[in-house]
Amino acid sequence: MQCDDPALRTALAAWLDGLRLAAPSGLALDVAVTDGDLESLPKAVFEQPDVRFGPGPDGRGIRLTWDHAPAVADVPAAASVAMVRLSPDAVRHLERCTRTFLMAVVIVLLRRVGWYHLHAATAIDPSGQGWLVTGNAHVGKSTTAALLAASGWQVGTDDAAFLESAQDRIVVHTCHAPIALRDGGRRLLARAGGVVLPNRGKVGFWPEDLGGVWTPLVSPDIVIFPTVGKARTTAEPMARKDALTELVRWSAWVMLEPDLAQDHLDVLTRLTAQARCFRVSLGRDLFTRPNRLIELVS
Amino acid sequence: MSERYVRHPDLRLADVEGDGVVLHLGSRRYFSVSESGLALLQALEAPRTLPELVDVLLERYEVTPEQAEASVRQFLETCRTADLLVPEAGG
Repeated sequence: MQCDDPALRTALAAWLDGLRLAAPSGLALDVAVTDGDLESLPKAVFEQPDVRFGPGPDGRGIRLTWDHAPAVADVPAAASVAMVRLSPDAVRHLERCTRTFLMAVVIVLLRRVGWYHLHAATAIDPSGQGWLVTGNAHVGKSTTAALLAASGWQVGTDDAAFLESAQDRIVVHTCHAPIALRDGGRRLLARAGGVVLPNRGKVGFWPEDLGGVWTPLVSPDIVIFPTVGKARTTAEPMARKDALTELVRWSAWVMLEPDLAQDHLDVLTRLTAQARCFRVSLGRDLFTRPNRLIELVS
Repeated sequence: MSERYVRHPDLRLADVEGDGVVLHLGSRRYFSVSESGLALLQALEAPRTLPELVDVLLERYEVTPEQAEASVRQFLETCRTADLLVPEAGG
């Protein structure tokens, strides 16, 4: 990480260290603070909360802009360094800037080394099987991750997973970040405490605080696509083709860069060959019998 | 001279046990296709004439030439509607 501002460099280095992301060496963020005009994207081709994505200045690669305060990042195609320019206003909102904007920059940068982002929680059950719990917000990923951690499973993340093709397996890397629960999830888990996550309306719990163990790496044997159901948890096996279209949906970056799209798609396809995939309706019975998930897929 | 067809360069294909999943990067849509549809899209990486595409199906399936041609024509029409084909470069 390069940055001319010593205080900002220290803060960003602490943020990156805290992620504990075992990324390949050679990647870098080159961060500068500028009062100059940071132009927004004339036309975004992809958006997520707070962040817009468009083609880079050379027509290839990616330019990202932040909605909350002026900030621009360029990640050229095949480059190992992301050039980031932050306004002083963006620096004043550094927690939000790292969580949304700079995390998106990291996601784009990691694509250059074959790490592909997927919205998923990750876990390893007591028998050693790797799990991915995949889907958008409000499908129960975080509550499930917290429940599994509280049941002694190893848990990696409740949302940001990075798929990598590693020899004969697809493995999933994760950041060390608190499991972010809304009030509803906390009530279901009957959990007090935790750390208030600013600006998110959520409370964070580390897997270790819940009785679990954080794991940075999972080799998935089972992928589930949950929805929040009623009383009883159910699981329905999925055809590989259906699982792949769902994975594309929750790994939407696959659409972003033509040069990387086929490799990204191939990784998702191999995941459907490696893991058994299920649609799962999460019921309240899981809170008394979390390992029912294992029974349902065995 | 027979018209030739080629698939859109924004398409990316995945083969899942014979069936296919197709991404269209330009429109950011994705969809699944049948085994025969995947075979035709794979063949369309290079420019193909209608008879060449019919041969793709005849080599794989026990169908008559008439049935294969009807299937290919219907497939090409669907592809045109979905913007999956482009004019052949230099054609």
